[in-house]
Amino acid sequence: MGASGSHGATALGFLTAVEHEQGVFGGYLILNAAGRPLEFHCTAPVKANRPQQILYGPTLEPYLYGEVIGQALLEKGVAKPVIVCTDREAMLAVRPLASMAVVQVWAPPEQADGKQLRIDGPHSVQPPARFFNLGRNRLATAAGHAEDRKLLDGKLAELIEGFDLNEPFARIREAIREAQQVS
Amino acid sequence: MSDFESSHGNGPGFTAPAILNLAAGGLEPLAAPRVRSARLAALAPRTISLALKRPKVKTFSHAFSGAGASVFFQPADKKGTKPGAASSSGNKKESGSPDQYTRIKPPRDIVKLEDRLFYVLQPPLESWMAGAQMDFPFKPFPYQFEGIAFMYPRYACLLADEMGLGKTMQTITAIRLLLRSAELKQVLLICPKPLVNNWQREFATWAPEIPILAIEGDQTKRRWQWQLSDMPVKIANYELLIRDRDVITEPSMEFDLVVLDEAQRIKNKSGTTSQIVRSIKRKRSWALTGTPVENRAEDLVGIFEFLAPGYLCPQMKPRQMGQLAGEFVLRRTKDKVLTDLPPKMYRDAHIELTPEQRESYRMAEEDGIVRLEKMGKEITIQHVFELVLRLKQICNFDPPTGESAKLERMAADLEEVAASGKKAIIFSQWVDTILELSKRLKQYKPLEYHGKIPHKDRPGILDRFKADPTRNVLLLSYGAGGVGLNLQFSEYVFLFDRWWNPALEDQAINRAHRIGAAGPVTVTRFLATNTIEERIDQILTEKRELFDTILNSSEPPTRNLGLSKAEVFGLFKLKCPAGAIDPSK
Repeated sequence: MGASGSHGATALGFLTAVEHEQGVFGGYLILNAAGRPLEFHCTAPVKANRPQQILYGPTLEPYLYGEVIGQALLEKGVAKPVIVCTDREAMLAVRPLASMAVVQVWAPPEQADGKQLRIDGPHSVQPPARFFNLGRNRLATAAGHAEDRKLLDGKLAELIEGFDLNEPFARIREAIREAQQVS
Repeated sequence: MSDFESSHGNGPGFTAPAILNLAAGGLEPLAAPRVRSARLAALAPRTISLALKRPKVKTFSHAFSGAGASVFFQPADKKGTKPGAASSSGNKKESGSPDQYTRIKPPRDIVKLEDRLFYVLQPPLESWMAGAQMDFPFKPFPYQFEGIAFMYPRYACLLADEMGLGKTMQTITAIRLLLRSAELKQVLLICPKPLVNNWQREFATWAPEIPILAIEGDQTKRRWQWQLSDMPVKIANYELLIRDRDVITEPSMEFDLVVLDEAQRIKNKSGTTSQIVRSIKRKRSWALTGTPVENRAEDLVGIFEFLAPGYLCPQMKPRQMGQLAGEFVLRRTKDKVLTDLPPKMYRDAHIELTPEQRESYRMAEEDGIVRLEKMGKEITIQHVFELVLRLKQICNFDPPTGESAKLERMAADLEEVAASGKKAIIFSQWVDTILELSKRLKQYKPLEYHGKIPHKDRPGILDRFKADPTRNVLLLSYGAGGVGLNLQFSEYVFLFDRWWNPALEDQAINRAHRIGAAGPVTVTRFLATNTIEERIDQILTEKRELFDTILNSSEPPTRNLGLSKAEVFGLFKLKCPAGAIDPSK
């Protein structure tokens, strides 16, 4: 458990946020191609004040999650991953500020087991239309950055196809929980 | 006429409006309106500015070393992979994407956040193993993944799974992962002497890439073996520790991990073995036993003196002891993991004959083959059978000395069966073997059921075996006990020597494994290595695999899969004589 090792090889980034009564905790995990951790960064809780909540309105989430938390975390990373995945749509707002591709990974709702069907609305287990398939993953690029898909279809396709891109987010959430307990 | 009129003319039809000439003296002109002006002061509105400052974000960062690599490992050699072997994901189509995730959780005694995060942020075991190209002969069960995840981060742990659940496999895989991530370099595994070969075989099965060294031989050789630094895993038996005490307790001798198999051997902390084991310099201490508490709670204290000295004390109440020990102990029983287990679990015990048995076997085989070859055309299959049977008997017991490697091994297992209150049935094809076993296993008060038992006595024997908790062992012959009995309360079956025909073996095993069985049945089949037993087993296995491959069936074969005449002769590389064989000769 020493210092960060070689970063010359392909690295993947995973960015997410966890809501808490104290605020929003951001977490950023960088993995090597084998899925082993290289770096982990997390934030102290971030909370918008009341004027911000009022004045930002519906843009508050993308601002807070993407521009504030996301950017702060991406800047902390020493290794530069070829792609950063997030499971929060609001965090795609970091894309214009990032030097690498940022995509959203669709995570089916926990209670959905593939057998839930609705007759009065869209089936909750299906992702929105903007998501495309890559292996067992459903991904979506940030608005205005459709070129990121070419990167995924290209050299990263083979790497990502066999990877469950939802799995590392569970590790980040658990790590944030550990950090909360210590603090 | 007014000026207006004059300018516009006064033509026909035109009527000039009446105009008053004010200036000429009519009304007085209007006075200019009075204007009052008020200067309005410019009012600057009061403003309040809200600075929407970007919130400050405090971050915490941790960096880890990349995928660790031990100097002992090369990329997985696919040549060693058995056909049909599973990757740890169990599904070659979805490499690294299993359906179940078993995560490593840091134990409570790891308090530093960075150390805890190291474990929390590791990939799930299934993904990790698939990514590391770790092949397994078959996919581990979910509870086994949990056992590996339990052991991996622990510096002290006791794996107390019930016998037959794969403590060996879980331990070997945890060691494998720790070696691969360079967290271990030197491992010492201590076990009872009869189990040394078993551990070597298990390592060859579950971690073939790890170099293993069994400490054995004369004193000089053993000293040299102990001092070898480039051997990641050394296996020694308990008896050896006493003889090599001075070597292994030298200050320079240190191990990253010491594992004790059948750890109940050190339950008496004042015993010599326990003292020596505790004095070995080590970083991690693991213990394996299916019976951590054999008689008293103090048994557990004895084991914990090795794991975490002073953590438990005999004066503690059992409940308190259990609560404290909980963090270090993992125990599963077959009934709890029932949904993960197949109904019948086979494990082959490959036994190395004792030196005395090996010598007797060698002489009998050489002598027997010479005699058969001299018979020429007079040879019959009966002659060959006789030699086969004689050699099989030597594999059971050495005629001159009575030594038995199989019995040594089985006794270790029976100790656990009896301590756990379970029942075991032991099959042999010879009554003489059963009688010998009965004598040698008298501490278990075994019951016998074979051809020499009068029929009227047989039902009583079975009733007693079922009802009496002190009767844990029943010795049966294949002939008498193979058919028609209901022994579904027995969870362990031992085939001390094996029958020619797998179908008859299955029938014997099914005495225990049948409707109404209390739980999965563990079947241990003994095989003496480099003997006729192994050769017979190879032929029978090939025949069964061929049958299954052709018919794609997991059902028992309907036809006889015993050895053919040619195969029997082939056991000794003898030519099957031409012409019909007279079975009466």
